[in-house]
Amino acid sequence: MYWSIRFFGLDDVYHTPWFYTLVILFALNLTLCTFRRFLRLLKTRKETPLPDEEVLKKKAMNMMVTNHDSDFIIDIVKKRYRMTHTDGQGAIFEKGVLSRYGSLIIHCGIIITLMGSFIGLLYGYKGFVVLRKGEIKDHMVVGGRHEKRHPLGFSIRCKDFAVSFYPGGEPKDYVTTLEIIDNSRFVMEKPVRVNHPLSYKGLRFYQATYGNEASFLFTIGGEKILLREREVYRRDNLSLMVVRFARQIHDFGPGVLIAYLDGAEPKTVWFLKDVKKMKEQTLSGVPVRLDDIADDFFTGLEVSRDPGVGIVWTGFACILFGLFVHFFMYHRNIYLRKTADGMLVAGVCGKNPEGFRKEFSQLEKEIHGNRSS
Amino acid sequence: MAIGHHSILGIATFGYLLLFILHVFYCATRRERVISFIWVMFSVTFGLHTAGLLLRWVESYMMNIGHAPLSNFYESLIVFAWSISLILLILKKRITYPFITMGSNLIALGFMAYGSLSPSVVRTIQPLIPALQSNWLHIHVITCFMAYASFAVSFICGIVLLLTWKGIVPPKEKLEEINYTSIMIGFSMLSAGILTGAVWAHYAWGSYWSWDPKETWSLITWIIYALILHARFMKGWGGTRIAVLSIVGFISVLFTYFGVNFILTGLHSYAT
Repeated sequence: MYWSIRFFGLDDVYHTPWFYTLVILFALNLTLCTFRRFLRLLKTRKETPLPDEEVLKKKAMNMMVTNHDSDFIIDIVKKRYRMTHTDGQGAIFEKGVLSRYGSLIIHCGIIITLMGSFIGLLYGYKGFVVLRKGEIKDHMVVGGRHEKRHPLGFSIRCKDFAVSFYPGGEPKDYVTTLEIIDNSRFVMEKPVRVNHPLSYKGLRFYQATYGNEASFLFTIGGEKILLREREVYRRDNLSLMVVRFARQIHDFGPGVLIAYLDGAEPKTVWFLKDVKKMKEQTLSGVPVRLDDIADDFFTGLEVSRDPGVGIVWTGFACILFGLFVHFFMYHRNIYLRKTADGMLVAGVCGKNPEGFRKEFSQLEKEIHGNRSS
Repeated sequence: MAIGHHSILGIATFGYLLLFILHVFYCATRRERVISFIWVMFSVTFGLHTAGLLLRWVESYMMNIGHAPLSNFYESLIVFAWSISLILLILKKRITYPFITMGSNLIALGFMAYGSLSPSVVRTIQPLIPALQSNWLHIHVITCFMAYASFAVSFICGIVLLLTWKGIVPPKEKLEEINYTSIMIGFSMLSAGILTGAVWAHYAWGSYWSWDPKETWSLITWIIYALILHARFMKGWGGTRIAVLSIVGFISVLFTYFGVNFILTGLHSYAT
């Protein structure tokens, strides 16, 4: 069972070879269909002869103009429509031709987006950096099934970290003041907060998490030592480690459990910060004093590089523009044809018949309204 | 403050209930005057609904945690109902059929009532967590809910298309046209919602697409509506088949909205 889940990647379907294969097949299919559609569109553009009189008369919108010649009508129609064809018989005008390419633009946008995301998959990576206040790091930890270190190419230093809370206790804002040090030269300092990442040399740093970790200031044999949980301290014949930290032990305040070796025998002992007797004790003949406990914040920064983002954004822009063109613009033709009875003007639209009817009656008014001239 | 937003939204909820009763009354009596009264009543209810939302916005500022009412599940329910009414007003000229307004008002009533009555819904104004403190919040949430609302109208068209009640049910071609218009608006809005969400995620979470359940399900919904559009325009589908697909599409919308919140957890779980 476990083996089959692992083999088909059911625990992480979206990053399995078979899912990638499906997406690639889809992208290929989409590309070919879009290309075929493009060829078809080109073909129909070439074949636009002026329809016959009988055909035009059957159009929902048509009018017969008897008191004006063709040049006069052409001049009026030309103000609003683009003339694509003219001959001795009449003329063809059009508007909103872009709308015919709307779906093409949308599909190209999807292809571009997929291309961008594949570039991101191939050349992008993600990692994590945990920094304490004042700490400098030049690498991040890259996750996945096996964690490993990845160099940043420069160093980052957490100059400061601050959290603010709402009166109710929910976090309001957390900010890391980050310094970038490149080639041991200070480059810049910028606050990194949620929704406001820092970008440097193609890497982006995001405020992801934060937490606090206590640190303990000891005086061991007259020497000031800062220790954290699980940190081991060794000197001469004393070796000790902070095993546990408790913020409150009964009524005695905060305390630290220390494990040490007394000869070869491991022992543990509690140090309580606010209790005189238990604040200073002698371990293996060395006087050890707990001076202070500080709750330090650490900040968790997510790091990512994705060279495909620009392409993905381009794809998005194409999709949105294409949707607008496809759904909210429409293509229409105005035909002008000489007949025995006069000039026949007819209008044809692909969609939005109501909008076009208004437009056509406006045109009708303009042509007939100039009767006096 | 004498009148809080809760009481105004309560009156709006009552308005939707009254609208439903008026519709039933119309179906029984078929008096045309009822229809014009319904539109007056609907405008008043929508005005109250809008005022309630704005008041909640103002009240949040008076609590010093000012933000648009787009941040938690209760607010999303109210905004969902509001978006449906807005779509109805935008399409007012085309939707002259009481069946469609009745269905839309009923859905709005359902969301309003669920929001104000369910014991599991937190109705207080909550402060905005850091991840939501962005201008993308407004455009992302509004586009998504406009999409959901349009799909709700399309769902009603789908249901009505399957009914046969002469005299009351509008002609099939008209219904299909309304259905197409609402899917067209919905699909554009959903695309805009997903894409603005992706851009926001890039700035907030460090990745424009994380296969978060909400993202995955909105993509599934998007694909379903893309299929409907292709079926209609490339294959010439119509009638019952499109009606059924419109219903399936809205079920997917509902799962994206409710199901993901209740069943699956992910990055979008502010809303529960």
